Amino acid sequence: MKAERVRLIIVLAVFFLALLALLWPTPNQTYKGLAKFFQRVRLGLDIRGGARLEYRVDVEPGVENPSQVVDDVWTVLRNRLDAAGYTEATLRKSFRENQSFIVVEIPDVADTTSAEKLLGSIGVMFFGQVLDESASDPSTDPRLMDLAKIKKARWLPSRDGKVWYLVREEIMLVKDLKLVSPRIITASPVPETRVGRFGYKVTFELASKDAEVFKRITQQLVVPETAIGTAAAKEKRLAIVLDDVVQFAGYVVSVIPDGKAEITGNFSLEEAKQLAAILRSGALPARLEKVSTGWVAPLLGSDIIKSSLVAGLIGLILVMIYMIVFYGIQGVVADIALIYNTILLLGVMAATRSILTLPGIAGIFFTIGTTVDGNIIIAERIKEELRAGKSIKAAIAAGFDRSFITLFDANLTTIIAGLVLYYFGTGTVKGFAITLIIGVAGSFFVNMVLSRLFTDAFHNLIRVPKAAERGVEP
Amino acid sequence: MKKIDVVSKRPIWLSVAAFFIVLSLVFIFTKGFNLGVEFVGGSEILVRAEGNMVEQDLRQALVEISPDFSAARVTRVRSVGDPANVVKFSVTVSKTFEVEEKTKIVEQLESKLAQKGFKAEVVSFNETGGTAAEEIRRLTWRAVLITLAAILAYITLRFNFIFGVGAVAALVHDVIVTLGFFSMFNYEINVPAVAALLTLIGYSLNNTIVVYDRVRENMKKFKGKDIPALINDSINQVLTRTINTSLTTFIVVFVLLLFAGNTIKPFAFGLSVGVLVGTYSSIFVAVPLVMKWVKYR
Repeated sequence: MKAERVRLIIVLAVFFLALLALLWPTPNQTYKGLAKFFQRVRLGLDIRGGARLEYRVDVEPGVENPSQVVDDVWTVLRNRLDAAGYTEATLRKSFRENQSFIVVEIPDVADTTSAEKLLGSIGVMFFGQVLDESASDPSTDPRLMDLAKIKKARWLPSRDGKVWYLVREEIMLVKDLKLVSPRIITASPVPETRVGRFGYKVTFELASKDAEVFKRITQQLVVPETAIGTAAAKEKRLAIVLDDVVQFAGYVVSVIPDGKAEITGNFSLEEAKQLAAILRSGALPARLEKVSTGWVAPLLGSDIIKSSLVAGLIGLILVMIYMIVFYGIQGVVADIALIYNTILLLGVMAATRSILTLPGIAGIFFTIGTTVDGNIIIAERIKEELRAGKSIKAAIAAGFDRSFITLFDANLTTIIAGLVLYYFGTGTVKGFAITLIIGVAGSFFVNMVLSRLFTDAFHNLIRVPKAAERGVEP
Repeated sequence: MKKIDVVSKRPIWLSVAAFFIVLSLVFIFTKGFNLGVEFVGGSEILVRAEGNMVEQDLRQALVEISPDFSAARVTRVRSVGDPANVVKFSVTVSKTFEVEEKTKIVEQLESKLAQKGFKAEVVSFNETGGTAAEEIRRLTWRAVLITLAAILAYITLRFNFIFGVGAVAALVHDVIVTLGFFSMFNYEINVPAVAALLTLIGYSLNNTIVVYDRVRENMKKFKGKDIPALINDSINQVLTRTINTSLTTFIVVFVLLLFAGNTIKPFAFGLSVGVLVGTYSSIFVAVPLVMKWVKYR
């Protein structure tokens, strides 16, 4: 009975791991009652709600195509949320009396400040010219403030807040030579290869519509490498400003004709990554004005969620009863298998921090169906083997062996479909595909290992069809 | 259990399937779909009330005003700094309204709620975009075709090419007919409904493969036996399993269809129809359709 012992150990170990993943304490316990057990399963907007932020899009008057601006804002915010792993967050445009709004809903975020942080800067990015710098806060120094007025520029802090730069949007006072809200297609950290330099640099590429302006800017600001550090060169530095903070200030060492540029600065990998992320996450083409921050209840309606949950449970209990009535002890095994597999699936979801939405629940539902189906297939097969005159032990062995191939093909086909859906899908479809794949794989394991264990253990309780029922099969 | 004659009555079964496909296509192309607000956008009404108004009160008032709101999504929202006795609801519906209609709806809604004893007002009435439009756009024909190709390839590998064709045909049948029923019964296609359609794909495949598996096994065991008779026996051998599996699934989704609220109903409807259609196709379409070309290897 070695195989049985191995199965028992595997079944218990997997169960223990799933429970561990589910019950691992979380810092802020928010669910009460029975739901405490599902603390670590993150729930989506549709069934739990989340943070809700509403912004007015401040489209400057005279913009040719205001709805395009709103679309662009939408895209930038969408990319930021996706980059932060919140593909399940929703973003929608909303219009009223010629005003445009963006409503953002983020699942699994309880406090609104972290939701705002997640969304990132709501300001504008521009490439400006650095005219001067100061190591002390210029707002306390009237002389420096006057300088800003004379130069028609502003003092802006650096990211670490230790240095202030005097930045002007218009480059070298050439009329209209400025680059506000540049569209940056790619930006990534790259290891430094040049002799005498170390660490990382950041390469980025501007969209073609901005490349020409950038070329003219670099023509104006370019300084020979030998002149770097001189007073004249210091007034020709380029600043990348986001949200009125200088993200980077440095020299332009060559004219950039095609929008493909690199920023060198012997950065550490972490610094380079950050800078690339700032460039890539992109600037908003318009400023956003916060209208309200708050929370949203489950999108499908709290009361509907509750009634559906009750209906689902009633259905499930009916199925469990049906299985016992129809299959006797094998029905009990099927019921154990379906509960086990559901816990397993939730455990995997908790461990991977996947967000569970209604489509995900559809996946769980499908998993339950597959698990029950697997047991039905096995039970029917055993019944057939018994009818053919085999002893109970032999019938169980033959039943499981044969069902292995059936279930293997049936489940693998489903998983293949799930993988394609996962690859092409976004939010909803992905959420469904994840639970489908995990669940179907789990059901195969449960059918072959757990059901086998229990069927063997209770083999003397299996009803043997009466001789009269033993028809001759083809 | 009595044997059903799948093989010799083949023209009848296939005609029934063909009839439903044509009927569904007619509905899909003439009546079209009632797409949910998350896909096509629509209107968002923000209602502010004092006291203990709940979602159901608002939902009822909305339906009494116009059937346009039967699928309306009512969600409680709350902003930082809202007084404790104030509740706010966001109502979204996949329809846009003219200015005059808006004014009328606002008036009617406020008076309806006042009649029910709630002090409520409409804060704003916006046009809103969809949140999941992108998902539909990305799940294009390309994705569908690749899914089908992958399934076809796998079944060809494990069974044979002709079975792959049968499975794909059964799958296409299931999806078209289920979509047709959505159109016929005017159920909203929202995100949960899409989830139901996806579940149906897995379900239908699973059912079909179980039948194929039995045919494959019997073809090995009884090599040389008359193919139509062998197929008929195979389908009948797995019939108890097919019926029990379908029935257990159907119990769950049907209970859900009876008791779930408006936003979940499309999901339960899709699965209820899907289970029936999927079961039918796995018995009466997947093999009978391609039977002529099935050969011993």
